[in-house]
Amino acid sequence: MKKFLFPISLKIIILGILNALAIWSVIILIFDSHYWMGGILILGVVFINYIFLSEKAYPFRYMVPGLIFLVIMVIYPIFYTIYVSFTNYGTGHILNKEQAIEQFENQVYFPKDSVSYTFQAFKNDSGEIKIILFSPEEEAYLCENKKIIVKVDLSDPRFIDQDKDGIIDQFDNYKKLDKIQTIQRLNELQNLRFKKDEYIIKLTNLTEFKVCNKKYQFDSSLDRLLDLENGKVYHNIEGYFVSEDGERLTPGFRVKIGFQNFTKLIRSQQISGPFLRVFGWTFLWAFLSVITTFALGLTLAIILNDPYLRLRKIYRTLLIVPYSIPFFISCLIWRGFFNTEVGIVNRILNNFFQVIIPWLQDPIWAKVALVVVNLWLGFPYMMIITLGALQSIPSELGEAASIDGASRWQQFKNITFPLLLVSLAPLLIGSFAFNFNNFNVIYLVTQGRPAIPGAGTPAGATDILISYTYRLAFEGVRGNQWGLASAVSLIIFIIVAVISAIGFRYTRSLEEVSKNV
Amino acid sequence: MKKFLTVLLVLVMLLGLVSMVSASEAGKLLIWCDETRTPVLAEAGKDFTALYGVPVEVQEVGFADIRSKLTTTAPVGEGADLIIGPHDWIGELIENGLLEPISLFTELRSKFVPVSLEAFTYGGKLYGLPYATEAVALFYNKDLVPEPPATFEELITIAKGLTNREKGEYGFLIQMPDPYHSFPLLSATGGYIFGENPDGTTNPLDVGLANEGAIRGANLLLRLVQEGIEVPGADYQTVTGLFNEGKLAMMIAGPWTLGGIKEAGINYGITKIPTIDGQVAKPFVGVNGFMISTFSENKLLARTFLTEFIATKDIMLKLYEKATRPPAFLPALDEVSANPDIKGIAISAADGIPMPKIPEMASVWGAWSDALELIVNEKLEPDQAMKNAAEQIKKTIMGE
Repeated sequence: MKKFLFPISLKIIILGILNALAIWSVIILIFDSHYWMGGILILGVVFINYIFLSEKAYPFRYMVPGLIFLVIMVIYPIFYTIYVSFTNYGTGHILNKEQAIEQFENQVYFPKDSVSYTFQAFKNDSGEIKIILFSPEEEAYLCENKKIIVKVDLSDPRFIDQDKDGIIDQFDNYKKLDKIQTIQRLNELQNLRFKKDEYIIKLTNLTEFKVCNKKYQFDSSLDRLLDLENGKVYHNIEGYFVSEDGERLTPGFRVKIGFQNFTKLIRSQQISGPFLRVFGWTFLWAFLSVITTFALGLTLAIILNDPYLRLRKIYRTLLIVPYSIPFFISCLIWRGFFNTEVGIVNRILNNFFQVIIPWLQDPIWAKVALVVVNLWLGFPYMMIITLGALQSIPSELGEAASIDGASRWQQFKNITFPLLLVSLAPLLIGSFAFNFNNFNVIYLVTQGRPAIPGAGTPAGATDILISYTYRLAFEGVRGNQWGLASAVSLIIFIIVAVISAIGFRYTRSLEEVSKNV
Repeated sequence: MKKFLTVLLVLVMLLGLVSMVSASEAGKLLIWCDETRTPVLAEAGKDFTALYGVPVEVQEVGFADIRSKLTTTAPVGEGADLIIGPHDWIGELIENGLLEPISLFTELRSKFVPVSLEAFTYGGKLYGLPYATEAVALFYNKDLVPEPPATFEELITIAKGLTNREKGEYGFLIQMPDPYHSFPLLSATGGYIFGENPDGTTNPLDVGLANEGAIRGANLLLRLVQEGIEVPGADYQTVTGLFNEGKLAMMIAGPWTLGGIKEAGINYGITKIPTIDGQVAKPFVGVNGFMISTFSENKLLARTFLTEFIATKDIMLKLYEKATRPPAFLPALDEVSANPDIKGIAISAADGIPMPKIPEMASVWGAWSDALELIVNEKLEPDQAMKNAAEQIKKTIMGE
């Protein structure tokens, strides 16, 4: 089978490079202890090698790019969400345990009799650094091997003051660093730790080293943190180090907490109380969105499909305009239109009918406003897909029906509409699922408001499940609760999946209808 | 060719994976900054590089995104060394282990407005170098209100005389439902958000939004509605838009509205929020500053950049020129204190209280806005609405 565009050797070379890169990456990943990622990478590369080397797996070569994107953009996020929903990931628990322990172990405290040293850094021609510390009693200490300090006499001949201004310019063959050079070497200096008795001396700011001591020590066998300053013991409790008397250290860290996020959803009155009401409105919202946009889109499509209509290309273009305006902008403009006091809708209503409607202040009217906005945003899509589907219905069917004496309404009801639904029903289900999670319109127009009097929970009258999730996750106790948010999204995912599955089963029965036409 | 492209694609993605696990750079300062201040800092960074030979990169990040971006990227070694932001971020950032304390010499400390340093202090440690303070104040149109009211009773009388909703003219508006702008009404008579523990730290279980003073403030808000002054749907765009058209005589607003007002050519003045029952209306004071990431590999360098370079009159004035806020740095504040805008905001801020910065604040805004909305829409009595809000906040914090 020598029908390759490239000679086989080129394929081998490219695969070789790929494998070399993969091995390199896997080594880095494993050293960084990302074992999962490393394992997945190995599997992926082995798979790619197999399909490019084996003739049997030839068809897979066309699917690889799609599969890779599917894994990265769909499968990985789903699994990650599932994983997060079983953790306490959120404000206060952002770091992993190793990072938190590292932060604690890097902390120092200054003992009561802590001494500050001014310092002078010197470097030799090869760039090595020596530091001389000066104590408050004008004693000098040399930091010899970067670990311990040795007292040196100021009359030591190695101190050289060339211009006799009382400031040492040189130590041995090491030249003094001026301020600019010191700043340039700051990263190196800040990591220096010298030992003095049981204490350490480290750089605390641009001009001084200070005696300090390690504040915390982690004891991995007992999984606890020891405060070396006052001997307090902190135990690992659900992502925090907590002492016996309830003192909690920050930062906390991420831990797996099992089903706690899910049980919280059920147990907490704050969360589960409004669930049914929110769910009901979500369902109604998605349903109304689909029905209204489809009805308008269908009507317009049928009118525009009439060959006797003049200028229909212009109409068609104009009607697509709402679709082409970024809907963020549309939503905000509509929000302005519906402003009770200065909005154009109420101005017009007031001029002609002397009524003022509290669009965004009343639960019912806010819902009406949302459906209207979504109708404006959604009908062009429905119109376009219906126009497309109308083209695919053979005109003979209509002609035959009219010869048989069917009225135009009968033709539409018994022929056109059922045939349209065959191709459109899956799209309508898709639209339903989309609107079920249509966070943007809700958030940009009403933000889930108005509030419900006496509800005592964070859900507003127009909150749908996903915007309610947003409130729970980001306006909750203390900032972000990604674990909880993931748990709710998982539940929403299941709900949408079930609804879609039922919908698709229903469309299959529609296909049978089309066979009988 | 297709096959070649496929392999290329895989290669590119592998490279992406490898670069993802590389760490951030030592020896180079990376600053995240909003669009207004990026030019100033970029210039300062260049000067710093010229002087010390340390490269400085200033990256523009949307103001609202800086915090969340640091939260997600810093732990994986991709975050900035320095960020710019308001002080009420620090509680959450510190709880997440993302901020490094900054120690300042007494000499430098004394050059800052004390309240600005206090705002950036958490658990006894300083976590930011402040550069500007801000607070809401009473903005008035001098053509409509020649003499600003000193008390709320006066304000109500003036506002009633100027309000003509048929003609689209308004006397006084507060954007609604917005806890931040209406807090002065609640605070004047003794309302507060969180109380304090004896040791001076914030106590999230002492919610003062439903005490007598707060309810009195909420009733005042209702009165504004009932007198026909405050209107439903008065959001930020509506209020500032009306003011800029000259159709609104007075509003409670912050220095961020100044750009639009000046552009519209309104003859405006800024002053204290009028007293309520003879008590001073205390707005929230927000302080903006620079913060250092715990995950920075250049902590001392970053601090040196701040203390040696940013904390200078020159840079502080440049930051002031980009956005009119009272500087937190005293030498710069002295230079510009004659500016009437700065004067007005500074007078208002002088009475203010720093916005609480504990992460529990997240649970406050939603419940509080809901309460205000119900009051303004006259759906619930003020005392009931505020009590519900306080109850809800407590429940959320206790995790019920």
